[in-house]
Amino acid sequence: MKGKQYERVERMTLFMRLNHWVVAICMVAAVITGLYIGHPYYQTLISEPAVGKYVMAWNRWIHFYAAIIFDVSSIVIAYLYFFSRFERPVEKLIPTGRNIREFFAVLVNLITLNRVKRFDSSHEDSFHVVYFTIFHLLLLWMLLTGLQLYVHGLAHGQSSIGSWWPALLHFFTDWTIWATGGTLMDVRMSHHATMYYIIVWILFHIYYVVWRTIFWREGDISIVFGGYKFKKVR
Amino acid sequence: MNREHLRTLFTTKSARVNTNRGEEYYRELLNRCRQRLETLKKMPSFTKIDIREVLEDEGISRRDFMKWASAMTAMLMLPSAFTPLVAEAAELMNRLPVIWIELQDCAGNSEALLRSDGPKIDEIVLEIISLEFHETLMAAAGHQAEAQLEEAMEHFHGNYLLFVEGSVPIGAGREWCTIGASGETFEEHLKRVAKGAAAVVAVGTCATFGGVPAAAPNPTGAVGVMDIINDKPIVNIPACPANPANMVGVILHYILTGQIPELDSLLRPKFAFGYRIHDNCERRAHFDAGEFVEEWGDEGAKNNFCLYKMGCKGPMTFNNCSIIRYNESVNWPIGAGHGCIGCSEPDFWDKYAYERPMADANIKMAPGGGVEKSVDEFGLGLLTAAGIGIAIHAAASAIAGKRDDEEGGR
Ligand code: SF4
Ligand code: SF4
Repeated sequence: MKGKQYERVERMTLFMRLNHWVVAICMVAAVITGLYIGHPYYQTLISEPAVGKYVMAWNRWIHFYAAIIFDVSSIVIAYLYFFSRFERPVEKLIPTGRNIREFFAVLVNLITLNRVKRFDSSHEDSFHVVYFTIFHLLLLWMLLTGLQLYVHGLAHGQSSIGSWWPALLHFFTDWTIWATGGTLMDVRMSHHATMYYIIVWILFHIYYVVWRTIFWREGDISIVFGGYKFKKVR
Repeated sequence: MNREHLRTLFTTKSARVNTNRGEEYYRELLNRCRQRLETLKKMPSFTKIDIREVLEDEGISRRDFMKWASAMTAMLMLPSAFTPLVAEAAELMNRLPVIWIELQDCAGNSEALLRSDGPKIDEIVLEIISLEFHETLMAAAGHQAEAQLEEAMEHFHGNYLLFVEGSVPIGAGREWCTIGASGETFEEHLKRVAKGAAAVVAVGTCATFGGVPAAAPNPTGAVGVMDIINDKPIVNIPACPANPANMVGVILHYILTGQIPELDSLLRPKFAFGYRIHDNCERRAHFDAGEFVEEWGDEGAKNNFCLYKMGCKGPMTFNNCSIIRYNESVNWPIGAGHGCIGCSEPDFWDKYAYERPMADANIKMAPGGGVEKSVDEFGLGLLTAAGIGIAIHAAASAIAGKRDDEEGGR
């Protein structure tokens, strides 16, 4: 490393980092409880009366809380995509010649195992933004299908916060029944299958960040902790 | 599923079951119903059967009948002031001509309304409706039967309720199902008989959504009545078989008000299909507690635990069996120890009727349905594929070694 100088580049604000970890925790909680709801995989015959244990109910409780925190965070992120004062990811999404070139340059970098690197890696790149946009779309889909499944239980049209809430949910999510195949079960299947896409997404996400850190040698992994990465200057 | 009706799901129509519309509304409705019953009373009855006599013969007291009427009133979501009117409407059932046709079906719905250990009031009431034509029940056959149908259609033109049982084949297999000497297909038959009907009632899941005949691979191209008839009011009473109480409910409502009841987005009466099985199930406490039957006949089954892990689909099925049950509230499927198979939902045979939770089911995942894969197997496969992909990339990266920019990385 001798003879090399590094410069700090801020990549994530404190709020963005907090959001990242909230989402990560919610994700783990939602997957663990969601798998239980889909197929209750532990206990059943605990010799305690039903009033004392509330296992499915707690799982659902955690699942819904994780989901609602997720939903709110997604709305904030969607807002930041367009109006952030820090970096607006949407600017890297617009398919301009520059963005498309950058997208492929990063892809080539990944495929050639860092043999070819023809882009500025100190800033958020198009490839990464596209990758994250896929994640947010998957989350949005989970939000819509999940709320549709949720509103089944509010058939009476009431809720603790008023009748506008189920009405709103029906208005915004009923189309998912049609979109998934026409039955309530299709919505469930889709909600369940999408979980796997999200897990796959996370696997690659973690791998890719570690890979970048090792191969680019710019401390990418510390972005999510400290907010900064480093850029070589000669 | 390419049902036009499903496109209209983008509405809040099914959002709410309104059980209280205010005094003003009910007072007005009560008057309307009274007037209607008065006019019906003046009309000649089509059958000679008097319900009072039949009830007496069956040993059912007036008191029992009134109890039934008040239960019916509650089921139709009307205030108790309507009870005498509902009883009266039941007595006037024979003023309503009904034509009942069977298409691709097992006659299970006819059976449901005819057979029980002793006729219950629901069945008796259905017996006295003026059933002008019913292939399975009528004595006439062949040309005679056809002549009877023609006559009924002409005589009661514009006034009869058409009950349809069974799905309509419109695909490659439609010519396997014809009716009468003229070789009329089921679709033509349905269209012709529906022409003069005041309203069409599709009974059972086959008539409503195609049901079992429409299950993959749907060899006959079976569809429901609402996919064929679009110029008549349609009421869907799905379930396999439809609950006679709901058939009576729809007819009573029609006699009482002259209108079909309020429907949800799948054209099912809200009074019957507005609520979810799961929310009114007696095993629900066990669901919340996480107490499940794991195997038929195990300790959990003996303790009436929740049937979710045995594939109960109550959480995504809308029907009133958990409330009114069958055979005058004697019991219902979940009460008898088997999970709900979602028989009142579209595509139930393919998507609901398996004895495990959806997460373990062998449902068709590939688009168009070719390969059978459970969702979890599919997911695990996807994860493995991703893992292998990552591993290959990681190994290749490690072998290739790091290249610093200076060493020609650019
Ligand atoms: S048996 Fe079925 S409907 Fe009843 S609580 Fe369990 S899952 Fe719900
Ligand atoms: S419990 Fe479910 S499957 Fe059984 S009759 Fe009712 S809706 Fe149909």
